[in-house]
Amino acid sequence: MNRTHISIAARFMAWLAPLALALSACNLEKEITIELPEYNARPSVECYLEAGKPFFLLMTKTAPYFEDFPTLDDRFLQNILEDSATVVIRHNGQEYPLQNRLSFNPFTGKLYNYFSAVPVPEDYEHDFELSVVTKTGKTITATTRLLPRVPIDSVVVQFAPNDTLARVLTYFTDDRSQTNYYRRMLHKSTLDSIPLQDFTVDDSFSETARFVFGTNYEFAEGDTIINTLFHISRAYNDYFDSVQTAFFSNGNPFGQPSPIQSNVRGTANAIGIFTGLNYDRVTTIVRR
Amino acid sequence: MQFLTRLILLPLLLASGALMAQQRYTISGEIKDAGNGETLIGATVTVRGQGTGATTNEYGFYSLTLPAADSVLLEFSYVGYQTELRSVSLQKPLIINVELSSGIQMEEVVVKANSFREKARSVEMSVEEIKAADVKLLPVLLGESDILKALQLKPGIPSGSEGTTGLFVRGGGADQNLILLDEAVVYNANHLFGFFSTFNTDAVKDLKLYKGGFPAQYGGRLSSVIDVKLKEGNSKKWAATGGIGLIASRLTVEGPIEKDKASFMISGRRTYFDLITRGVNSANKDNANYSPIPDYYFYDLNTKINYDLGERDHLYLSGYFGRDVFGFDGDFFNFNFNWGNATGTARWNHVFNPRLFANTTFTFSDYRYNISNKLTGFSFDLGSSIRDAALKTDFFYAVNPRHTLRFGAALTHHYFQVGRLKAGNRDGSIAFSSGQDFNGLEGALYVADELDLSEKTKLNSGLRLSGFTNGDRFYANAEPRVALRHTLSERLTAKASYARMFQYLHLVANAGVSLPTDIWYPSTDRVPPQRSDQVAVGLSYLLGNQYLITLEGYHKYLHNQLEFVDGARLFANNNLEDEFAIGRGRSNGLEFSIEKETGKLKGWIGYTLAFARRSDFKTLSPDRPFAQQTPFRPIYDRRHDVSIVAFYELSRKISFTATWVYGSGDLRWMPSGRFTFQDVEGGSFQAVVPDYLDRNTFRLPAFHRLDLGMVLKFYPRRGESDLTFNIINAYDRRNTFFIYLEPEFNTVTDAFGNTFEVPKRIAAKQVSLFPILPSITYNFKF
Repeated sequence: MNRTHISIAARFMAWLAPLALALSACNLEKEITIELPEYNARPSVECYLEAGKPFFLLMTKTAPYFEDFPTLDDRFLQNILEDSATVVIRHNGQEYPLQNRLSFNPFTGKLYNYFSAVPVPEDYEHDFELSVVTKTGKTITATTRLLPRVPIDSVVVQFAPNDTLARVLTYFTDDRSQTNYYRRMLHKSTLDSIPLQDFTVDDSFSETARFVFGTNYEFAEGDTIINTLFHISRAYNDYFDSVQTAFFSNGNPFGQPSPIQSNVRGTANAIGIFTGLNYDRVTTIVRR
Repeated sequence: MQFLTRLILLPLLLASGALMAQQRYTISGEIKDAGNGETLIGATVTVRGQGTGATTNEYGFYSLTLPAADSVLLEFSYVGYQTELRSVSLQKPLIINVELSSGIQMEEVVVKANSFREKARSVEMSVEEIKAADVKLLPVLLGESDILKALQLKPGIPSGSEGTTGLFVRGGGADQNLILLDEAVVYNANHLFGFFSTFNTDAVKDLKLYKGGFPAQYGGRLSSVIDVKLKEGNSKKWAATGGIGLIASRLTVEGPIEKDKASFMISGRRTYFDLITRGVNSANKDNANYSPIPDYYFYDLNTKINYDLGERDHLYLSGYFGRDVFGFDGDFFNFNFNWGNATGTARWNHVFNPRLFANTTFTFSDYRYNISNKLTGFSFDLGSSIRDAALKTDFFYAVNPRHTLRFGAALTHHYFQVGRLKAGNRDGSIAFSSGQDFNGLEGALYVADELDLSEKTKLNSGLRLSGFTNGDRFYANAEPRVALRHTLSERLTAKASYARMFQYLHLVANAGVSLPTDIWYPSTDRVPPQRSDQVAVGLSYLLGNQYLITLEGYHKYLHNQLEFVDGARLFANNNLEDEFAIGRGRSNGLEFSIEKETGKLKGWIGYTLAFARRSDFKTLSPDRPFAQQTPFRPIYDRRHDVSIVAFYELSRKISFTATWVYGSGDLRWMPSGRFTFQDVEGGSFQAVVPDYLDRNTFRLPAFHRLDLGMVLKFYPRRGESDLTFNIINAYDRRNTFFIYLEPEFNTVTDAFGNTFEVPKRIAAKQVSLFPILPSITYNFKF
């Protein structure tokens, strides 16, 4: 080996290495024009039944991915909502027709276009059946059942040793005699904020009936923590997971896309979810 | 099946007749490199003036049976080496070991033409070979010479996403490649998510890739066999080779333990990103707002010892250990992600007599990944592994110069740990766990016969009987193999082959990208073995003395192909089989190449036209969905693939290389529609959620790239060195790594002063991996 060669190489590399890295970081993303496969719009349904609360259903229109978004004018809602359908929910011999009218739930901040003021009966033994006939005569059907609430047993706040930050442990008890699905949400301060945790899980995860969800040491004294534990159906678990998977697959080169897993059927080829919803919610203020 | 049975038995009958003729004696021995004692694979020994000859097997052993004669002139030759002539009197069996000296010679053109002629005449088809010396000349990413990346320049071997080393051979998946390193299986030959392979070119002697026409001694994967042989170590003198590059350095040291009897080789490589990042972290450790940069590095270590136990016995021991390590250490949180392979081989060659040679090998393979995550008082561990212990033996019996028999057996024990998860706190009040363990036993018996039916026609027929069990189900299968070569003229050869393969191990992985968290899963009662039937036909034409033109077509049927159900849950799932769907596949294509191996300008041009499809998938679990009912194409269904590789030796000191590749874009599963998801109270409203329908209907833009290299060689008093300059992506083409669809929003304020985001339009964005990338590497040898 010749010292001159080593010297040349060392100087070249000292200059080249940062240049190579800098070049590699610049301008590797750009907008392009592409054509996606052909797409026929279809209805999208969301209907969550909560015992003692009115029947609410939201039905919107899907659209081809690159189609222009409707402008924010007086036709905006007409362009995004699937109206003029006949919607009926049947339960234990009773029929509950839902009116096609725009309803805003001030407590949840959610919007629906089909509504019945009659409260959802608290019945865990019989199915609820959804029947929709769209304005073009297509059908949408689905079946679900209410699930009992699974209460949060306790919420424990633990401060890190020699630190001002705390973590929160949420305990509940699972019924080991059947397979259960849960959706866990954790908010800080208000339910309008983006959840710190939001995921679904089935109960095969734990070896014992006592479940716990935890957090990092990230909460300061005085923070308000809102814990919500939903006891959900398998269908809702699959639907929610598929929506998350679809959402996060876009932009992830390692992602595995998936079609939306709906429990709605019928000739309308709709997507969506018709499910019972039951949850426990505990608000905790972080204190030593 | 009857036809195949007769085809297999015919050679044995012919053999017994041939033996009744005049007195014949066998010449056998080894052919080695005079400079370092390495055995030469595929070296030729011919009888001058007769055309009769033999080639060395993968252990450097040859055997040639001839009629007794007072004088026989033998010619020993190998590409890049000086031919040696030996005149012998053949009145009894002889052992002739020959050492050939390397160097440029007057007859180089003739030798290389002979090499092409041998390649054309060989009954083997659908084979690609690449020399380590050529690989080092090719321009490569960040100067890291990579033998698997070089293979992707050959026809029929497209890569996965740009820059990665995943191989999708003739429409087969990334798990359908059997990668052997000194006969031990390497389960994941990738560093850094596939940007580099685990093979250190300095340690590799030979690499052969079979795309079809698989010899009967190979089995267990459907689409390819990549047989990598390590160097044995210089048995003549001490030598060292190495290099210093932009991201890694390497060193190989080899030498005799006992001259001409025993030698060793040890070869290592390591990246040094982490040395820089640790320095930066250390300099900022007092900065409370500073977020430390995680560590990342990888390393490889290859070792080999070989020992001549006598004229008839040779012992080899080799090992490989490699790891990728990614880690982060904080005050309350630390994270460690590591993955890698370990392999070990103990091999014994024994010559029973001049015609019968045996190789017995014990191998060990281990691939594992582990993710561990510790928060204060809480820990999380996730990992998977596959571990093999295998014993195999292969016999070569040279019945006569026209007839070679090969037979053997293999037994492998597999141990799988699938999706092992343990999480919990220190006091045990919180505990989660999942995972499955499997044991599997895979075995095979095979017999193969290579027979010259006539001067112009050669037949290679074989039968492999393979089996697998993991305790709950036993699978046994027959795998016939046939290959035929017919010489139409001095320059034109026609070939055809058929091979049935079975695969008992399956990779649970994302289809297009190699990830270290990919899991190997055994065949079980519910998961049947995969099967392929491949037919290939081809023509080889020797144009002048310098060009070899090859055209080959193939058709492959695939059965019991694995895909995942919609929304498959692959992590920490104790019922992974519920996420599988089983279906069929088909692929066909045409591969064309023209090669030139002589003169100042050398290289090849390759073109592949290929089609692949999948269909009829049924889920193993009835309540898991697989919405795709119509046939679809896998994402690596690349329609056109072109590679042009050129080496130009301007002088002894300066050479240039250029590679240009073009490929139709891969397929992607893109959404065709969108919808709005309101969610429940507390959930996040999502204005735009993709609605995915049919799989893989969107074709990415075509990619093409020009890479340039220049090697400046220096010849100091001792040894050799060079500076290798590379420019990857010389015309700065921004090839697509992936595309995503980004909604753009307008901010709107209502009458009450509330602001909210309203979607305005969707923009398609393309992400590329790298722009023009120069690099330099300093290499040395002494």
